[in-house]
Amino acid sequence: MIATNDNAAQQVVIQLVDLHKIYRVGTELVHALRGVSLSIRKNEYVAIMGPSGSGKSTMLNILGCLDVPSDGAYLLAGQDVAKLSQSRLARVRGRQIGFVFQSFELLPRTTALKNVELPMTYTRARHRRRRALDGLSRVGLGDRIHHRPNQLSGGQKQRVAIARALAQQPDIILADEPTGNLDSVTGDEIMDIFDAVHADGQTIIIVTHEDHIAARCHRVIELKDGNVVRDEATGRAPDAARREASTAS
Amino acid sequence: MRLLYAVLHMLVAIPGGVALIGGAVVTALVQIWANKVRSLLTVLGIIIAVTSIITVVSLTQGFGDYVTNFLRGLGTNMMVCYPEWIRGPRGEFLRPAELSITDIQSVDTHADAVRRTSPVVFHNSTVEYGRRQLTGINLRGTNELFQPIRNYYVDLGRFYGPVDVENAAQVCVLGREVLRKLECDESLVGDYIHIDSQRFQVIGLLEAKGSFMGENQDQVICVPWTTALKMYPEQRDYLAFFVEAAAEDKIPRAEGQLVRILRQRHGLKPGQANDFGLFKQDQILQEFHKIRTIATSVLAGIVSISLLVGGIGIMNVMLVSVAERTREIGLRKSVGARRRDILMQFLTESVVLSTVGGAIGIVLGYGLAALASMHPSMTEVKVPGWSVALALGFSAGVGIFFGLMPALKAAIIHPIDALRHE
Repeated sequence: MIATNDNAAQQVVIQLVDLHKIYRVGTELVHALRGVSLSIRKNEYVAIMGPSGSGKSTMLNILGCLDVPSDGAYLLAGQDVAKLSQSRLARVRGRQIGFVFQSFELLPRTTALKNVELPMTYTRARHRRRRALDGLSRVGLGDRIHHRPNQLSGGQKQRVAIARALAQQPDIILADEPTGNLDSVTGDEIMDIFDAVHADGQTIIIVTHEDHIAARCHRVIELKDGNVVRDEATGRAPDAARREASTAS
Repeated sequence: MRLLYAVLHMLVAIPGGVALIGGAVVTALVQIWANKVRSLLTVLGIIIAVTSIITVVSLTQGFGDYVTNFLRGLGTNMMVCYPEWIRGPRGEFLRPAELSITDIQSVDTHADAVRRTSPVVFHNSTVEYGRRQLTGINLRGTNELFQPIRNYYVDLGRFYGPVDVENAAQVCVLGREVLRKLECDESLVGDYIHIDSQRFQVIGLLEAKGSFMGENQDQVICVPWTTALKMYPEQRDYLAFFVEAAAEDKIPRAEGQLVRILRQRHGLKPGQANDFGLFKQDQILQEFHKIRTIATSVLAGIVSISLLVGGIGIMNVMLVSVAERTREIGLRKSVGARRRDILMQFLTESVVLSTVGGAIGIVLGYGLAALASMHPSMTEVKVPGWSVALALGFSAGVGIFFGLMPALKAAIIHPIDALRHE
């Protein structure tokens, strides 16, 4: 299971070991994840699929360090996040994870530039403005830096959100239904950006229920009732990754 | 607006922790600006509280300084000793008391804590010059030491000297208001006027002192006390005298010596009341300060209630603001904000809100006080630095105190719940 490839490009970024998550809803215990084990290497391009209630949101929350597992281990870049304090978790969210949400979650009344700078203000990163400008031009919004969210289209908003996620060069980009609120043409444009970001060496995990979005990724993990029921490389995956994925499952 | 943004953003460029707080302040200002009407209504309580603090404090301070300056202007070490009629057991007047010139001389000679003395004869006189006639002018008959004792000097011409006093010379020194009312200029010095039909030469003019409590202090004429007694012999019964202590801290000692000497000279037995009175202006000053302190603290109590009400208003709105921005809090947490960052953000917002309210209140209060001081019988307004600092400090304190609960509430929101919040 654990990759022992000495190639740095193949190093493991995420490793889940027998991950369980149990919620208490009222008096009822909900077993959202029932022993998920998988690993994701650097520069992988992963889609997580599954019907609602399959545990994919729970997994995304745990991967994003917004929640901690009830049992099992989650190693992010070799670090067990279950042992981290609240403020260390916040730091991990700021530096190592870039979130992209279905509903963009940009700050209203705040320019695109300031929105992209936001995570860096919390990590006190240097050269915020320059890095934010770089990020915005990467997603093709170099000419809209002073626009506020209400002056941007849905696709543009999502691009700002991607620029925000990229700004700190995180270990992983976590996208939760990034095209869910967009029409299919705009959705494809957003996926083009993800493709480009992936080509630059970024690790991307997209949660989606749309097959054609999943098909653009290189690996699909499907959850059902808290278990991984499918984990395979797609047709777009390079040969090495496909081999790796098939041996892993 | 754009300029404001630009300036604020430049401020944020200051590196380090300042930048972080600066950023929080900018966020707070943007948020407050986005909800202008709500913010204004929220801080109305604070504005009213601070406005009343500043107005009231500036008026009492202005008035207090006015009184203090007046009393200081009398000469800080000065006392006035005056005869008091002796009363019988049922409070009836027995006989007029009297201070004699030898009483005064013996105080001057034997009391070592007393530096100077001067007899003083009071009278309301009529002054004539040409066709002008003034009645009810305060005439003071004193000796040549009037100037240093009363701290009230001639600034044109000269004051009368010991020889004038000795000879009961018909010379006088005029206050500026008398000059004005006589419709004369300074060339009156050297000329003659009539005081109660007696011919006097004007030898000097006193410096202007201004008015106090609507009474013009410059409406005064000084003549040698010997001359005054010659003109108004009946005033002998009311002869008083100025006493100047050697120093401010020697006033109690001077008072003790004076009382002992006078009692001895008047043959008063123990148990008998003094047949003279003492007017000490430092006593009045202390009383006045005491009253002012009490008045100020009572007002502070009232004002603190309105600050409390204002603070509750702020807490209420901050709670609404936290609830409204739950998703924003979730987003901020998901991109790396720690609990304390969120706490600081909302705390900053409530502090900025209340401080802005306080600043508005200071401006309004100053304006109101200035407006009030335009009334002719009002004193000059003074807004002391401490009251501004206090008002700002209190409003910021209210912001912290009442902002803490909403900010804590925001800080502990779970990011997942916050992001799902509709």
